[in-house]
Amino acid sequence: MNLETVLIGAIVGAAAGWLVRRWLAAARRRKAGGCAGDCGCAAKIQPKK
Amino acid sequence: MSAAEPGLTVALVGNPNTGKSTLFNALTGLRQRVGNYPGVTVARKSGQCDCGDGTKVELIDLPGLYSLSAASPDEQVVIDALSGHLADDRRPDAVVVVIDATNLLRNLFLASQLSELNLPVVLVLNQADVAAEQGLKINTELLSRRLGGIPVVLTSAWKGEGISAVRRAIGEALRARVRMPAVEWPPLVEEALADVAAGVAADIGRAPGRADVERLLFDSTTSVGQRLGWAAPRRDVVIRAARDKVRRAGYNPLAAEPLIHYERLRKLLEGVVQGGGNRTGGSAAVDQVLLHRVLGPVVFAGIMLGMFAAVFWLAKFPMQWISGGVDALKLGVAPLLDGMPMLQSLVTDGMIGGVGAFLAFLPQILILFLFVSILEDSGYMARAAFIMDRLFSWCGLNGKSFVPLLSGFACAIPGILSTRTIEDPKARLATAFAVPFMSCSARFPVYALMCAAFIGPLYGPGWESVVMVGMHCVGLLFAVPTAFVLTRFVLKVKPQPFVLELPRYQMPKPRDVLWRMWQNAAEFVSRAGTVIFAITIIVWALSYFPRDPAVEQRIRATAVGVAPAVVDAQVQSAYVEQSWMGRFGKSVQPIFDPCGFDWKITVGVLASFPAREVIVSTLGVTYSVGEGAEADSKHLQQVMRDAKWTEGPRVGTPIFSLAAILALMVFFALCSQCGPTVATLAQETGGWKWAAISFVYMTALAWLMAVAVYQGVSRLA
Repeated sequence: MNLETVLIGAIVGAAAGWLVRRWLAAARRRKAGGCAGDCGCAAKIQPKK
Repeated sequence: MSAAEPGLTVALVGNPNTGKSTLFNALTGLRQRVGNYPGVTVARKSGQCDCGDGTKVELIDLPGLYSLSAASPDEQVVIDALSGHLADDRRPDAVVVVIDATNLLRNLFLASQLSELNLPVVLVLNQADVAAEQGLKINTELLSRRLGGIPVVLTSAWKGEGISAVRRAIGEALRARVRMPAVEWPPLVEEALADVAAGVAADIGRAPGRADVERLLFDSTTSVGQRLGWAAPRRDVVIRAARDKVRRAGYNPLAAEPLIHYERLRKLLEGVVQGGGNRTGGSAAVDQVLLHRVLGPVVFAGIMLGMFAAVFWLAKFPMQWISGGVDALKLGVAPLLDGMPMLQSLVTDGMIGGVGAFLAFLPQILILFLFVSILEDSGYMARAAFIMDRLFSWCGLNGKSFVPLLSGFACAIPGILSTRTIEDPKARLATAFAVPFMSCSARFPVYALMCAAFIGPLYGPGWESVVMVGMHCVGLLFAVPTAFVLTRFVLKVKPQPFVLELPRYQMPKPRDVLWRMWQNAAEFVSRAGTVIFAITIIVWALSYFPRDPAVEQRIRATAVGVAPAVVDAQVQSAYVEQSWMGRFGKSVQPIFDPCGFDWKITVGVLASFPAREVIVSTLGVTYSVGEGAEADSKHLQQVMRDAKWTEGPRVGTPIFSLAAILALMVFFALCSQCGPTVATLAQETGGWKWAAISFVYMTALAWLMAVAVYQGVSRLA
């Protein structure tokens, strides 16, 4: 395996990992009652149970 | 008070359209979207405010509301926040009530209600400049005296006048803790309130707050009772008896509160406000044209057409500069990676080609938001709401649906979130279902690419704006009948009246307009540098691998006497066709064949399901990789114009025919291609059922309409 293959693998792996992490974080935000979008808004106010 | 005193919070409340958000921006230095239509503030916004004496407080901008009788979830949030009933927030230490100085009586109703919360209050009479123009003279000292000595400040937030005085007044309110005197209820009403308080205390074992007791007695909703854990039927018995006492006092229980408050306020304002009578003037004359039954929609359509024409015309040269820069970058970087063909392709075709194709639309986005900001800040958007309300009321949507639907033109997510301002849960659901049909800004690069690459060059620049307006109407065209069926036959929504306060016209503030442009540009570039960049790398990898050397050997062996550049292009094309992306695209392409999409467009369409604008970078990558080095010197638009079918019955004909372009745009106008929107719909409707229905319905509709457009236009052409 040459340097070029290692570099490509690292870049593609990092991109895929970053996307998966981002989607998981959005799912967690949504579950906590926050906004799942990319708008960057603050967590929504949740009434007390 | 020392500067280090931590944890002080001050809530900013007021009626919609009082300039509350502008004042919040001025006090905190933060920026927030400033719109002229009601309900613009939905989420919790907070920022640090310096009181001028070194004291720093957390200022919370709460959604605009007219009274404490919570009808919508949005209004409930304000009441919960002010009463300290929110999970993560404690009760604020003071309240700044923002009042429209031109309409003190109506605006003071909320302040008068808030007096029951027993919090220190600062009264800000905003839009003082307009009041002065109308000849109104307000005696703030007299008003302050009559309100128990609370600070009363005159401001013009949009001009930045009186902001320091508000800061000082907040500091003073926190120091002196002066409360506004509560309303004096007639004896029988006071008795009724005491009965309700005693009933609650007896049943739940603790004394309720005064504000909660008033809500229980005067409101028809039972949300406060539910929150306190005061259950029916005992609750209903106590409240019914208390309301009988209110009736004996000569009031309808559900109308008693405003009547008594306004009676108090009228006396309170005697001698406070002088002059006036110049209230309408120019705005009314302009509105006679802009809100005219016939002229209004014509002017609205003209403004939209002009806006898109200007977007194309003004953005033409900056777009060319960006595309030229991207091409130069590709050509400059490629030789540096000559020894590493894979890395060279990743950097030039993938990263630079994909992200560059997306970034080329930055000038159009900037100019679009320049116009949208001007229209909103000038007060025209509220007039547009009034014009559109006729259409919405026909299809059974609540008039309040306009704000979420209008927000949907920028992004469906805030649009769906802002349906919280709608009281009726069924109308809220129907609106949330219709919002994703609105042509959001993520669809814009797709339309812009097609218009710039094909419509403009083929039919002339004027047609670009016509097609753009048309594409923005396509979503609306399907949202209206969808909402009609949903509201009339599925959800059976009862029609409700729509009261819209038309703000005065004003000159948009350049700072706010530029800030909005900057925010949108930053978001666009940030997406290009993050999500689009990452997806581009994945799309490149799927379009590049696997690379079997036998493919190249076979082509070179058979290509005798063919020019080397042509052979290179054939090799690149063959490689991308046998890549994972190529194989997947070709296997799925038959589904999209009736829409006129080749396998590369099919791949673009499928890659766009998480976020629709991804198609631009995906086409940028697949066409760059497929075309090889030749594509480095051509814009994506040129490569797409040259693309032809290589197999099947359409071999040799352009892939991007007029029929295919229109079908592709219609598909993107109607398809549910946004993961976060589907998730938000699920969140706001309390489950995945409606989100799944929306996804299946929109996607199926998009496919059907794309087929109809392609087949219809192909036959006509």
